[in-house]
Amino acid sequence: MATMGPQPIWRAVGQSVRGATHVRAAMPNQDAWRCLPESAEGPPLIVAVSDGHGSARSFRSHIGSAQAVDIAVGVLRELLEGQPQPLNLSAVKRTAEERLPGEIVRRWQEAVEQERREHPFTEAELQALTQRHGPKAVEDLEKNPRLAYGATLLVVLAAESFILYLQLGDGDILTVSESGEVARPLPDDTRLFADQTTSLCIPEAWRDFRIRFQALTGAPPALILLSTDGYANSFVNETAFLQVGGDIWDLLRAQGLEQVQASLVGWLTEASEKGSGDDITLALLCRTELLPAPEELAAQAALAESPIAPEEPPAPDESVAPPGNRRLWYDDPDFDEESSAPACSEAS
Amino acid sequence: MMRRPGGELATRPLHFIWIADCSGSMSQDGKIQALNTAIREAIPHMQKVADENPNAQVLVRAIKFSNGAQWHISQPTPVADFRWTDLEAEGVTDMGKAFSMVAEQLKIPPMTDRALPPVLVLISDGQPTDDYQKGLQELLDQPWGKKAVRIAIAIGADADLDVLQKFIGNPEITPLQANNPEALVKYIRWVSTVVLKSASAPASQSAADAPTAPNVPVPVAPPAVDANGPQTAADVW
Repeated sequence: MATMGPQPIWRAVGQSVRGATHVRAAMPNQDAWRCLPESAEGPPLIVAVSDGHGSARSFRSHIGSAQAVDIAVGVLRELLEGQPQPLNLSAVKRTAEERLPGEIVRRWQEAVEQERREHPFTEAELQALTQRHGPKAVEDLEKNPRLAYGATLLVVLAAESFILYLQLGDGDILTVSESGEVARPLPDDTRLFADQTTSLCIPEAWRDFRIRFQALTGAPPALILLSTDGYANSFVNETAFLQVGGDIWDLLRAQGLEQVQASLVGWLTEASEKGSGDDITLALLCRTELLPAPEELAAQAALAESPIAPEEPPAPDESVAPPGNRRLWYDDPDFDEESSAPACSEAS
Repeated sequence: MMRRPGGELATRPLHFIWIADCSGSMSQDGKIQALNTAIREAIPHMQKVADENPNAQVLVRAIKFSNGAQWHISQPTPVADFRWTDLEAEGVTDMGKAFSMVAEQLKIPPMTDRALPPVLVLISDGQPTDDYQKGLQELLDQPWGKKAVRIAIAIGADADLDVLQKFIGNPEITPLQANNPEALVKYIRWVSTVVLKSASAPASQSAADAPTAPNVPVPVAPPAVDANGPQTAADVW
């Protein structure tokens, strides 16, 4: 399907900072983010962000979040790899909506159970859990050991002819149009309240994914932001948070992607210290063909530093090329499609 | 560094509300004086705990109930500025009216959905004289009422523990029984420090823990007295 205007050239940047309360409590940063391909350029470009739960019940959530982003970008890459060319968007949409959540959850649950087998819960971990939440928390953990690894997941795949958004649990995905209009591509989930969230560790977590498949019949967003909930919770209200989208788009156009990337750690650290105190992760997918050329940036006296290098349309990325006879999860005849259909999804 | 994107930053508000029984029976045996003293003495400790977590903005207020209910300290007051004004006791025990008034304040707005779970501390020595169930239902109908950390302190043997347990709404947490001024001081201090500290540290958790797990882990309360058994020679209420 043809897109309007020039072919989008996507590039991803991101940053994750340890929260101010985590620093005081000597807790690790429990967030994680990944992009694929490693060049961070596309299309196709896949970005995943995950927030490991801060509750003492989820004492290995930093491991759970790292596994979540690795698995998510891998599963989405396989989705692309197995598609015939030219793409059948309806087939991609159907596969994404019906099978992706189940596959991501299945692989994540297998991965954390493998991790637990290799590194069983220690006496010290169980003792700390008992002290904080009582003996019932240990009983709950015995019934569902994945609780220790609980994490959310936000993923965006920007392909040539479509964008796919997936979210499980709290956090925010925002889109920004070329004119600076900020929108949420996914519907709200009213269950996400008072620091309680849906999670990969819930037995039927795949039911709780929110999904949107956006075929690119018009102009795609100029910028997509994925952030963990520590970021939105650091602003006085929703309006103040949504302002981030337009402001970053303005800064990108005025000063370039590398300047924005260099500023992320300072912005997020300040937000955590003066705001929620939580870990904060922010990842950006930006259409670089819309940004000023380096010479334009260099011409601005106040913005003389580090103009971005000219972007060339990327060569086909072999890491996402069709894999030949490689066996893919959605070709698996044993995969239970019926039980994997998401209960809550949206597509356009 | 470039200018920071986004609007105003803000710490997350944590509303702490005392819900105090000021019925006539609280005037007996020095109960109301003991409550005033206990809360006043707890304030510096509460301020110290709040200082240790600058990412939570602790806002305190108080409501009293006897013949009807009335906000005793109506404005959510930053804990650093919080001063206690003595309560006086007379009249009946219109606990349900107090629940209804707290429910009004926990609506969104005036509350924000980015707040930390509120802490509600109910202190009572008797039995409600109004329809407390209606008021309690109104409270629990509010998302923040449901998610609030609800603690109850029973003063003396005449307090209605069943009502207090229904207010708490969690079988893992039971009413704290204060049968003398020392026990009351200890429990008020515990709520003002240990519970406040737990509530002020944001920690997301999976919905798999709900509904049985408290949204905020409430640590085990200290024993009221060191002696064995519920009643001791020190008990005066």
